[in-house]
Amino acid sequence: MKIRVQPVQIATDSDDRESLLVFSDESLVAVLVRLSSLHGREAGRLFLEVGFGPLDSCVPLSFANLNEAEAWIRRSLR
Amino acid sequence: MTEGPGSEMALTDQPMRSTGSIVHPFIAKLDGFVALSEAAKGALRQVSAGAQLIGPRIDLIREGDLPDGAILITEGIACRYKHRANGARQITAYLLPGDTCDLDFAPLREMDDAIATVSACRVVRIPAAALNELTANHPTIAQALRMTALVDKATLREWLLNIGSRSALERIAHLFCELFVRLQTVGLTVDGGYVLPMTQGDLADTAGLSSVHVNRSLQALRRLGVIDLKGKTLTILDWPRLKAIAEFKPNYLHLGERAVA
Repeated sequence: MKIRVQPVQIATDSDDRESLLVFSDESLVAVLVRLSSLHGREAGRLFLEVGFGPLDSCVPLSFANLNEAEAWIRRSLR
Repeated sequence: MTEGPGSEMALTDQPMRSTGSIVHPFIAKLDGFVALSEAAKGALRQVSAGAQLIGPRIDLIREGDLPDGAILITEGIACRYKHRANGARQITAYLLPGDTCDLDFAPLREMDDAIATVSACRVVRIPAAALNELTANHPTIAQALRMTALVDKATLREWLLNIGSRSALERIAHLFCELFVRLQTVGLTVDGGYVLPMTQGDLADTAGLSSVHVNRSLQALRRLGVIDLKGKTLTILDWPRLKAIAEFKPNYLHLGERAVA
């Protein structure tokens, strides 16, 4: 499975503006948002704004970095 | 994101004071529904005496426990909640000063949810016998307690609507409106605001949101000039706008003319 990300700006109506579209084999599977300083000690983490299919999670998830996010995405899509 | 216990509500040996007058929240709440005689008020004072001081974030009763008395909060804020196996929590009600829960607990063999303090609280457990005596001797109290049970159910319906049909911003605005009106009826608002001991995690678990979305909503409400939240003090700067955002109609609280305009 080939995972690639595409940086885009996101309009969350907050300071969280930086995001990544995550594709698996050319299908959009998730949107990650880089948390801004608004979130205190969580700032800088990648928040799972939305996940599709097996990546849909009712428990809020965030990751320390892209490697951690990708590892979770691969595990969940397997 | 700030997490951690919030226990900044003042706890004294006296009923809570606000706007200069002493308010007994249980009496204030019931008297608002049905005018109570001095004898009935005295009986309520008696039954709510001897409240136990409980620290923040303590379970008062857990899922599966045998209920051993109706819980009355006389000071502080508690909540009802349920957990999923994966740890996810849903807060299903807030118990403010003067609020009771499970008045008809006697037939229940076990609790299907849990009740915990959010801030430090003063808590009374009213045994079934005392409750029966109270309602048998004072029909007005029985009538008022039935009203509180109806309002609890109506509030739960409103929360379902909130979670199912409102945006993140609207849900938080609605919760802030409801808490303001409910706290005002028991004399616990000061200068257009109140003490909010809930963490962002609590608000998230109440509104079915992530802490991230709660944070963004709080930022948006601040930016709009509608609220100010400093530490644990929430100040409502623009009540008409907050109400409009939330589409807040206090009819489900059945307060009549007591609800703030």
